[in-house]
Amino acid sequence: MSESPITRMAEATPQPLARKVRGLSDRAIAWIFVAPTIFLLLAVNIFPLIWTINLSFTNFKANRPNREVEYIGLRNYERILTDSDIWLSMQATAHFLFWTIFFQVLIGFTLAWLINKKFKGNDLWTTIIVLPMMLSPAVVGNFWTFLYQPQIGLFNYVVAFFTGADPSSFEMLGSVQLAPWAIVIVDTWMWTPFVMLICLAGLRSIPDYIYEAAEIDRASKWRQFWTITVPMVMPFLMLAVLFRGIENFKMFDLVVQLTGGGPGSTTELASINLKREAFEKWRTGYSSAFAIILFVTVFGLASIYVKALNKVKDR
Amino acid sequence: MSEVVLESVSKRFGDTLALADVSMVVPDGAFVVLLGPTGAGKTTTLRLIAGLDRPDTGNIVIAGQSVLDYTPAQRDVAMVFQQYSLYPHLTVRENLAFPLKSPLLNTPADEVERKVRAVAETLRIPHKLDNKATELSGGEMQRVSIGRALVRQPQIYLMDEPLSSLDAKLRAELRVELKHIQANLGATMLYVTHDQIEAMTMATHIGVLEEGRLVQFGAPRDVYENPVSTYVATRLGQPRINLLPADLFPGAPSGAETIGLRPEHIVQGEGQPATVLRVEHLGDQTRLHLRFGGHEVVTTTEVHSHHAQGDEISIRPQSALYFDAAGTCMTTGA
Repeated sequence: MSESPITRMAEATPQPLARKVRGLSDRAIAWIFVAPTIFLLLAVNIFPLIWTINLSFTNFKANRPNREVEYIGLRNYERILTDSDIWLSMQATAHFLFWTIFFQVLIGFTLAWLINKKFKGNDLWTTIIVLPMMLSPAVVGNFWTFLYQPQIGLFNYVVAFFTGADPSSFEMLGSVQLAPWAIVIVDTWMWTPFVMLICLAGLRSIPDYIYEAAEIDRASKWRQFWTITVPMVMPFLMLAVLFRGIENFKMFDLVVQLTGGGPGSTTELASINLKREAFEKWRTGYSSAFAIILFVTVFGLASIYVKALNKVKDR
Repeated sequence: MSEVVLESVSKRFGDTLALADVSMVVPDGAFVVLLGPTGAGKTTTLRLIAGLDRPDTGNIVIAGQSVLDYTPAQRDVAMVFQQYSLYPHLTVRENLAFPLKSPLLNTPADEVERKVRAVAETLRIPHKLDNKATELSGGEMQRVSIGRALVRQPQIYLMDEPLSSLDAKLRAELRVELKHIQANLGATMLYVTHDQIEAMTMATHIGVLEEGRLVQFGAPRDVYENPVSTYVATRLGQPRINLLPADLFPGAPSGAETIGLRPEHIVQGEGQPATVLRVEHLGDQTRLHLRFGGHEVVTTTEVHSHHAQGDEISIRPQSALYFDAAGTCMTTGA
């Protein structure tokens, strides 16, 4: 046999193993490779989901594992949908979701648009603006409680400086009216850079020659913005909204750190409420049903949204 | 009036000098073809006239007015870009209607639709009007790009290789169409191309650029028959001019370094012997590749030529062009 590197390799493979591997179809080999991942997925994602669905039809309480578990049909779902507390937490979530996305898109797009102009040091500015989203939400929540301090907080001081009011005359986190806005402000502060980055990617994807063609076609800057910039960034913007929407629907850490759901239950978002039901009141069956309802809601909304996103992209 | 005048225009991009002291007068209604290899400054010239770039020095005058401080919109030019530059998120119809919807023109909707349709018919793309701009072939995109320039009637048309990605048949048709439109409107046109036939058939003037300098500007026949240098001589003519050492043939003027022979400068059947290397039957002409004194010479012969490889024929120059050592033409008049 000739001594080419290839034949040497073939000889080096142990004969029985080579024969075994050769005996398998491509499909079988593919399955061997994906099997570990599929197993993990089943164990940590699919099984818990099915188990939660199962629990949502029972009166199981995790702190009383020995009590007999009864299947009570759809009663958990009935109670959730008629529970005014749940509806309040859904309202708080909707308020939080709407305004955070509104401000983040508005400010994020504006920042991206400004930073996309060619000026000296715009890379440095990008890095500085992006800093907040690199912090841990727990840390951000913690230091904003200090910024919101009526006596020593910087936030109150700045607002007082511009409005002339007394800094200790209002409490962002302690007031029923202000607390829902306090969490919107912090989330916007933290995540606007994310929306900005995605918008910036969108703006950078528009080639200069498109604007040159528009110049030649005698379109004003205003018309260029509305007929070229906005439609071409729109798919990117919608993607940012999707990410922020899903994230904020399950918002937990930042708000727990800031208000713990208070005062009263004015900032008790759905996920905070859920955690309370599940691990403070130990109503496992009931909270499972709530979790399923939340899951279906966010899944449904996201699917509708992704359809819309694809339509915009194909336009 | 839309005469275009360039007065000692220079433009530098970083370290490269794109245009060096170019002066040119494009008369109203002229069809100027700019020739030159890649990087000679053809596209830069168009961009400066359009107002997309600003010259470093010099002045640009359109219709008797300096336009240096004017935006492209104020200059009222239409441009066909080399890379098409279509609006990718719009349909063909919307792309074609875009310039008409400028508030400066304020065209009524039915007028827009009529003009878009007419232009689409001219360019043979009416069936593509509802396609997205990104769903077209290269040739179709190029036609939409031309259409976007033709829908309105600007003072000046600037076209950067507008027919380069079309097939031969369509190119021939649109060549006639474009010339026709330009002549009908009486518009001034600056046109960049690599295509010999386009240059010779469409132009009223040809400008030859070499490394940012305008080396010759004149009527096509004049540039063809009296090129100022070997560089200009090789820009025009199909097959290309044969450049040979001047002493190969008797009768060269003193100081001549190179003799330039176009096919019509070569008389066959008398003179010195040459060997046929290859015969190319192109249909409307037949080309002979000859070996002559260690050099290859390309010429044309009658369509139904019976020459074959290895044949011996004799050739003689007739009213050839002579160039000196610097490549400058020494002959005046053909």
